[in-house]
Amino acid sequence: MSMEKSAVLEADVPSDPSAPRPAARGSLTLQNRSVFSAVLFLILVLFWVFGWLRGATFGDLLSLTIWGIMLGGIIALGAIGLTLVYGVLKFPNFAHGELVTIGAYCAFGIMGMLPQGPALRPFSFGWELIAAMILALPIVAAVALVVDRVLFYPLRRRNASLVLFAMASLAGTFFLRSVIYLIWGSDFHFYYPGRANPALHLPFGIRVQADQIFIFVLAIILVGLVYLLLEHSRMGKAMRATANNPDLAQVRGINTERVIAWTWVIGGALAAAGGVMYALASQLRPEMGFFLLLPIFAAAIMGGVGSPIGALVGAIIIGIAEQLSASFLNPAYGPAVAFLLMIVVLVIQPQGLFGQSGK
Amino acid sequence: MDNMPLLKVDSVSAGYGDSEILHGVSMEVREGEIVSIIGPNGAGKSTLMKTIFGLLHPRQGTIHLRDKDISHHSPYQIVGLGMCYVPQVANVFTELTVEENLEMGAFLLKNANMDERKERVYELFPRLKERRRQRAGKMSGGERQMVAMGSALMLDPTLVLMDEPSAGLSPKMVELIFERIEHINKSGGPAILIVEQNAQLSLQMAHRGYVLAAGENRFEGTGQDLLNDPEVGRLYLGG
Repeated sequence: MSMEKSAVLEADVPSDPSAPRPAARGSLTLQNRSVFSAVLFLILVLFWVFGWLRGATFGDLLSLTIWGIMLGGIIALGAIGLTLVYGVLKFPNFAHGELVTIGAYCAFGIMGMLPQGPALRPFSFGWELIAAMILALPIVAAVALVVDRVLFYPLRRRNASLVLFAMASLAGTFFLRSVIYLIWGSDFHFYYPGRANPALHLPFGIRVQADQIFIFVLAIILVGLVYLLLEHSRMGKAMRATANNPDLAQVRGINTERVIAWTWVIGGALAAAGGVMYALASQLRPEMGFFLLLPIFAAAIMGGVGSPIGALVGAIIIGIAEQLSASFLNPAYGPAVAFLLMIVVLVIQPQGLFGQSGK
Repeated sequence: MDNMPLLKVDSVSAGYGDSEILHGVSMEVREGEIVSIIGPNGAGKSTLMKTIFGLLHPRQGTIHLRDKDISHHSPYQIVGLGMCYVPQVANVFTELTVEENLEMGAFLLKNANMDERKERVYELFPRLKERRRQRAGKMSGGERQMVAMGSALMLDPTLVLMDEPSAGLSPKMVELIFERIEHINKSGGPAILIVEQNAQLSLQMAHRGYVLAAGENRFEGTGQDLLNDPEVGRLYLGG
């Protein structure tokens, strides 16, 4: 039979009597997983201690942690799209960061066409930003679909190797960024140049901006919607099925190209939302998505590639770690912290927090 | 008797890349039949299944489902025409629950009486009802085979292809699975085309059989004829 193994239907290992019993394997992963969670927790505690040794107050550290959770929400919106695309198409999409950037700039462009109203206090933004964001979601979803059609669909048709997919996505990254440079130039932009955005003073000396709370709540709502979609809708189940076993999905009558299209639509829309929030919290730059790419990858890997809930948890841990590191390191090292955590994950638990075991 | 076979494979050649594995295979399945394909390792049995189901396309020859040419259809189109397939391995979604696996079997039906269809599968395999919320990846080989068969039956197909349903199962489980296959077929269910290493067992159950060797048909006849044929016995039944 070996000569006719096409590998396509043999992706999974058939039940093998010599393999450990499922129960035994389950407890083993559980044990690893707790050790791994403990290590991650310890790293965050260490960051607190470092910050405290460098003279940060309790209130400072708590504020940084809350900012980290907010940053985690933004990272999560990118990481979920990345992890979904990886789950279904099995390649790391380096162009995902550019979808974030395009989302931010699309909203910027749309805002320029809308009348500017007053700020919705205590937030620093008005209705026009929310309207622009809502309009940017389908635009970026469409961009993601076009990129898939032009770049990845021909590769799928030819059963190209995954390396080619990854390289094509890298090419897509540079192309999309050039388009942004062409349209909006290389300067920084702000949604509301010069508008004050005072921090709220909460108990325990915590200082956060209302915008940050808004960003985090919106991120949680979107992540929750994706979770519901994946768990309970027909298309969501088909997405999980396709990610799990694409050949069997076809055999069961699932049109996998449609599943792939939906994956891009959801991934693109989430990236756009993340981009608008990221730009609101900092500023618009053509490289913003590229800089976000490293934490996005780190979060997706930490959570277990293919798991949206894992991506959210991973993103929050990375967001907190990046922000806390600012209490004892130059903030420019933030990406290095994400990189460090990614290496810790790859060494200790490559399948991540919520990754599929035994694969 | 209706003259048009349910499935007609006509001089089909197919293979992967540069290697051609099937060289002009012809066979047919009629309504309500169990047809068994036996043959040595590497004869092209699984390739034939994949070609019929559209996972591979024939280089020459045609495949018809009733009067429809499906030689170049995609699997999901073929499923829509009432043919389902139970692959030999990787035949369940390991990360999905038993229940979700069954729902994926009826993915093409948008909102049709899903519960009723699931209930029918649970009647055939009561074990699955007990474990319906369990992830399929955590189940034994026999239970997975039940999930795979159950998923294929969710659409009420007219023809089910089964690739080596006995592979890797204990003798007791093999007996149970074969008993269920016969039961499904006898109780007005679909026609079944089955590929098996376990030639004795599958020919006993089959109405008709084909012997495939080196990518060509060698013999065909009723299950009993093939079992009693001295040459088939000597060459392929190890007796």
